[in-house]
Amino acid sequence: MSTRPANPHPAGIWTRHRSATTPALGVDLTLAVLLHAAVVAALFGVALLHPHGKTWGDQNPVAGSIQASMVSAIPLPPKPVVEDKVLASDSPSPAPITAHEKTIPPPTPRDIPILAKPTKPLKPTVDHPPTPTPPKHAELKPPPPTKAATGETSGMRLAQSTAQLKNGTASITVQDRNFGARFAYYVDQVNRRVSSEWLTQTADPRASLGKRATILFDIDRDGVPSNIRVETRSGSPTLDISALRAVQRVDHFGPLPQGDHITVEFSFDYVQQ
Amino acid sequence: MEKMLNLARRMRTRPDLRWNLLPLAMALLISPVLRAQDWFKTETSTGAGTIRMAAANFKPQSPDPQSAALKRTFDAVLYADLANAGLFDMVSKSLLPTSTPGSPSEIQLPQWSGAPTSAAMVAFGSLGTQGDHLIVNGFLFDAKNTQFPQILAKQYNEQASDDQARQIAHRFADEIILRLGGGVSGIAETKIYYVHLAGGAKEIWEMDYDGANQHPVTHLGTTSISPRVSPDNSRLAFSSLDRSGFQIKMYSLLLGRMVTFPSSGGTNLSPAWSPNGHDLAFSSSRSGDPEIWIADASGGAARRITNRKGPDVSPVFNPRTGAQLAWASGGTNGIPQIFIMDSDGSNITRMTDGGYATSPSWSPNGQFLTFAWNRKYGPGAPGGQDIYIMEVATRKWIQLTHDNGRCDYPSWSPDGRHIVYASSPNGRMDGMKIWSMLADGTQQRPLSATGSDMPNWSWK
Repeated sequence: MSTRPANPHPAGIWTRHRSATTPALGVDLTLAVLLHAAVVAALFGVALLHPHGKTWGDQNPVAGSIQASMVSAIPLPPKPVVEDKVLASDSPSPAPITAHEKTIPPPTPRDIPILAKPTKPLKPTVDHPPTPTPPKHAELKPPPPTKAATGETSGMRLAQSTAQLKNGTASITVQDRNFGARFAYYVDQVNRRVSSEWLTQTADPRASLGKRATILFDIDRDGVPSNIRVETRSGSPTLDISALRAVQRVDHFGPLPQGDHITVEFSFDYVQQ
Repeated sequence: MEKMLNLARRMRTRPDLRWNLLPLAMALLISPVLRAQDWFKTETSTGAGTIRMAAANFKPQSPDPQSAALKRTFDAVLYADLANAGLFDMVSKSLLPTSTPGSPSEIQLPQWSGAPTSAAMVAFGSLGTQGDHLIVNGFLFDAKNTQFPQILAKQYNEQASDDQARQIAHRFADEIILRLGGGVSGIAETKIYYVHLAGGAKEIWEMDYDGANQHPVTHLGTTSISPRVSPDNSRLAFSSLDRSGFQIKMYSLLLGRMVTFPSSGGTNLSPAWSPNGHDLAFSSSRSGDPEIWIADASGGAARRITNRKGPDVSPVFNPRTGAQLAWASGGTNGIPQIFIMDSDGSNITRMTDGGYATSPSWSPNGQFLTFAWNRKYGPGAPGGQDIYIMEVATRKWIQLTHDNGRCDYPSWSPDGRHIVYASSPNGRMDGMKIWSMLADGTQQRPLSATGSDMPNWSWK
């Protein structure tokens, strides 16, 4: 390492210095001893000559106060000046003047001119071939009452459309009986569609024999079935599931001819083939 | 729909591939008792039968000979549309009552609902010309509902021409089918696009769903194949041969001319639209091997979906979800099979278990695939190529065409009740005709003359 001194022991330096001062050593030593002796003698002399009568802090009324004086050169923080004249003011200052906002008066109806309507150019009349009179719709009659006019027996509630399948009967009733009478073809095609999707072999034949499952669902105006649920359980779970699946397989039945939605009750009767 | 569900239940189980058991399996199939077990047959829907429909001859309102010719066209087209729908049991015209009611006040419903007509529904009305306008009043009555028989009343007013009489009949038939078809729109107004071979060139042609009004769309003078119309009927994508090989081309049906579509290297074949019309899947060999690519509708952002050995062609989207693709993949031995995958290339599933299967088409409700299949493919094998449908979830299949020559390129109709396909009785390409059938294989009938191929049914 170049930074390390060549000789690790600096004794040589001290040796040379000492050798340079060696000749004056005896004179200096003598002077120092004399000086020390003089100082010691002076101290003893003073101690002996000093009067011992009074010590500080005794019962002397004249002497005995200690003065301590602050050094004014140290910059201390200035004391805050308390302005205590505010509440004592004789003449209160005047309140600020606030200008009231002026409201713009609403326009009177006459301020806004009413434009005259642009007159439409008259269309040239074209000779259309006379259209034939549209066919008249059959008028809607209220459905016949479901109760007998006399007596207490209620009317029979017949299904509106029934399809005989190989081992089952599918029958449909629309709860809006007016719809069912007016649009029987729609009820019919819903029945045909659902019963074609009913896979009767997925129902257990022994457990389902003679049982009836009733499914309730809604058809919205686009014809999409929704809210499909089992209304009456048959007692045979496989028949319930097969009936539910039959409705669930249908994407849509075609748009409703009238109304927003209809509620359909669909009964599946399982019979021996 | 009913027919399709019948099909689903009659699907055959997938045959076992254990070839060492083949002789035993053949012996079992010959036995009639065990063969009956091989088929699922349930007849749940047979009871919910078809609707017996009477389509009356419309009443002429004006005596001129022009309207008589229009009325003949109208009556024939309306009857054919209703018969083709596959929903109705049509009353033969010879069994109709002699009266021709023209308005609701003139019809005697007991005449129609009673024997021998025994109709549940009656379509009738009047037709006349006023000046050069053709005015048709159409009615649909429920013959069984005596209190409220009217279902539908429609009035049409168009230019008096044979084509317009035909179009009015199509529209009226679609209205009837929408009301009675269980919520599925009719197809009488749809179109079929196909390849027409004339001279040495193959051009894209268009026709009505019943084969009428056949006319060319493109005039490129080259070989154009596999037309696919976009879901909104605005554009037609196809593959056409130019100096750089087969390229995807785009024709605007609204503008009536070709629009640009970027070309790339390699052979680009069989475009297919996604159901939202935003994407186009096709097969391209720009990276060497023919793979499935998906680009947006203007050809940008093309990305490769498959990475398989062997050619991958004929993609088709699942029209219900748009999230799956079916396609034909050659695999290692080069014999194509039908596969399905998600539209990002994952979840690859093989559908067919052997033979030679091509040209998949997906049913509109996403439940079935139809494709051309030669199940006994190989040198000296007895098989022929026929149209099959397969339920995607169960992979059960059923054969639709039998002994009708070589059938190929099936395409579903938008109502899911029909399939259009090409068939050649002698197996040669120049003998190809376009046929239509119900999706259960019945009512097969030719639509076009020979030299027509690769039909594609429009989406609406």
